Amino acid sequence: MASPNAVLLISFLLFSIGIAGVLIRRNALVILMCIELMLNAANLNFVSMARHSGTVGGHSIALLVMGYAAAEVAVGLALVVALYRKRETIKVDDINLLKG
Amino acid sequence: MDSFLASIGQHLFVIFGLIACASAAVMIFSRSAVHSVLAFLFAMLCVSVCYFAQQAEFLGVAQLLVYAGGIVVLFLFVVMLVELSKFKEGGIFQAQAKVAIPLVLAAFGLFAFFFRQALFAAPAKDALTLPAEISGGLDVAANNAQAVSRGLFSGWLLPFEILSVILLVALVGAIVLAKAERA
Repeated sequence: MASPNAVLLISFLLFSIGIAGVLIRRNALVILMCIELMLNAANLNFVSMARHSGTVGGHSIALLVMGYAAAEVAVGLALVVALYRKRETIKVDDINLLKG
Repeated sequence: MDSFLASIGQHLFVIFGLIACASAAVMIFSRSAVHSVLAFLFAMLCVSVCYFAQQAEFLGVAQLLVYAGGIVVLFLFVVMLVELSKFKEGGIFQAQAKVAIPLVLAAFGLFAFFFRQALFAAPAKDALTLPAEISGGLDVAANNAQAVSRGLFSGWLLPFEILSVILLVALVGAIVLAKAERA
């Protein structure tokens, strides 16, 4: 029960913290967590707007997004582990094989 | 005192949303990856309280189960697997941090400028509803899980089925990617 502006502001704050984390961190694990954070910010918006419009469609989308986030994090963490096995690092700065 | 508590109860969403933002900031600025994961867990718990405050009880519990119960544990295991102590030396931030942080702050400032009114006002008036042919006499506001399931399986059946296939693909992909190579 918050005003739409409060919801938009808070979820955009959460989203921009996620973007900042993706842009500035070196650790691939923290980058994955920031992506999860951005998905959560979007979910927060869906749920709150569902509350505001009085329909449950937003709840359904949020539930689906949660499932997609779980799939994404499973693949992402597997990639991190595979990367660590091959290159002994998970710093994104050190992974520049495609640099040419 | 009662009115104070009532006003806190009305603003639970804003309060816990701001706590979630604070712990997200702790997450991206902490040096140790384990601290980052714990701050992430705290942020997810706060987001779930926000769901409860928006009368999305089912989603709040799902958030607790999926994030606090599954994803954070997965992250902790990977932190344990990849021996982060090796990476302590050197900065934790990339070179573009000097550009990225002001840009993000500017974006948030612009957004906040346009949506600055009424941060603590005007709660929504109606409880949740469903179209009459779907709800079939169900008290939607009191039975959140049933209402969500009816909405999900009537309007969102195809995305739901696609999600089940995607989860299967992710499962196989994760196993293939993370499996040790046979030398």
